[in-house]
Amino acid sequence: MKKELLIPLLLLMIPIVMTGQTEADLTSRCVLNAGPNTTYLKDHVIKLPKAVSGREMPVVKENIYLMKGTKYRFTLCNSDDSKGELIVGIYEKDRKIISSYDEKGGKTYGSIDFICNKTGMYTLWYSFREGEQGMGIGVVSLLR
Amino acid sequence: MMGKNILVIIGMMVFLAACQNRRGGDVQFTFEEADTFPVAEAEKLSAEAIDDIVRNISSPVEIAALLQSMNVPFTIDYLASTGDVDRLSTNFEKALKLGIYGADLGYLNIYERTGNSVEVLQAIKKLADGIRVGQFFDFETIRRLSVSRSNLDSLLFLSVQSYNQIDEHLRDNQRGHLSALMITGVWLEGQYLATQVVQNYPDEILKNRIGEQKIIINDLMMLLAPYCDGNREFRLLCEKMESLRDKYRDIRITYTLGEPETLEVDGRLTVIQNEESNVEMTDEQLHEIIELTKTIRNELIAGR
Repeated sequence: MKKELLIPLLLLMIPIVMTGQTEADLTSRCVLNAGPNTTYLKDHVIKLPKAVSGREMPVVKENIYLMKGTKYRFTLCNSDDSKGELIVGIYEKDRKIISSYDEKGGKTYGSIDFICNKTGMYTLWYSFREGEQGMGIGVVSLLR
Repeated sequence: MMGKNILVIIGMMVFLAACQNRRGGDVQFTFEEADTFPVAEAEKLSAEAIDDIVRNISSPVEIAALLQSMNVPFTIDYLASTGDVDRLSTNFEKALKLGIYGADLGYLNIYERTGNSVEVLQAIKKLADGIRVGQFFDFETIRRLSVSRSNLDSLLFLSVQSYNQIDEHLRDNQRGHLSALMITGVWLEGQYLATQVVQNYPDEILKNRIGEQKIIINDLMMLLAPYCDGNREFRLLCEKMESLRDKYRDIRITYTLGEPETLEVDGRLTVIQNEESNVEMTDEQLHEIIELTKTIRNELIAGR
């Protein structure tokens, strides 16, 4: 009877343990992916459902102060089981400055280096390409 | 028997699901009534607004990294003394000092002054335990990473995460006043560091960074405002911070328009922002800010 109980319990635990590991591991990996000569500042864990047609694309908005005279690197990482590819847009108020997804060329970049010359509040718009469901991490680092 | 097993499984599922929740993974405690702080309904900021302010107060790591990039040598004299941690009796003092030491830890970490960081870490642990948030501070791992100098990013990551978790927990448990104090401490110590250094290294970027704090101090005052009439300690703190904000009143921040340039370097997307912010601040204004920052910081450290 114990065995009968243990097996379903273990099966139930697998996704739970996996999720916990994935998030921490993915963040560590993403911090490393930022590359040499960077200093970690903060990270954003992004989990979004698939877009529903006729409704707005799911997006996570994170406000961040960026300071003049500072180089920032925004690094993006996707979890192995993420269906979508994480993209980020840097906005000042509602004006887009840049996106890691080049819609014309259809190319997605894994990071953006931003040389900031205007101190102020910016907003990072995180979403998954084509409105797919996904999980990923965005890491903000200083570029030395 | 089978029914009993199902109940056990359901019980375990509920337990594990609770453990899985990132925020909820922290054990939930109930605090005594006296530990909470009454805030008039009308004065409450929305959780989202507070979140924005708290997450965006300029990072002490950025200030320290800026000083390092200017080749400013490390100076231990800038750090707050950890000698009187056991003397602190009120949660007000503990939370404020927790923030101050957090900024000092950022400075030590960036300069990889690990020999000095153990004392600061011990002080942080005591204070965090003192306001019952010690469970979020992974003291041992941070100490190990710090002493071994193995990975600066991991160290910064864990330090930042610990502070974020403490902050989230405080706000989730109606102890937002302690979170506001911690954030104020972090900011004030970063400001103290910058204003001390600028006297010997009058670099334009550093001067501008101090001037740009006009934006941040306004947000900080919004964060403190709901608690300013709560008790004497808060009233005094708010008066001090308000007087510092006054020193910023005539500093102007202007903007020059320009379109961003985008280029691809080694497969990496790079953006150069050509729109600029400019700080207009006289030497006299800067001097007044330096002096007042020092006074406020030292008074708060001394518990006055």
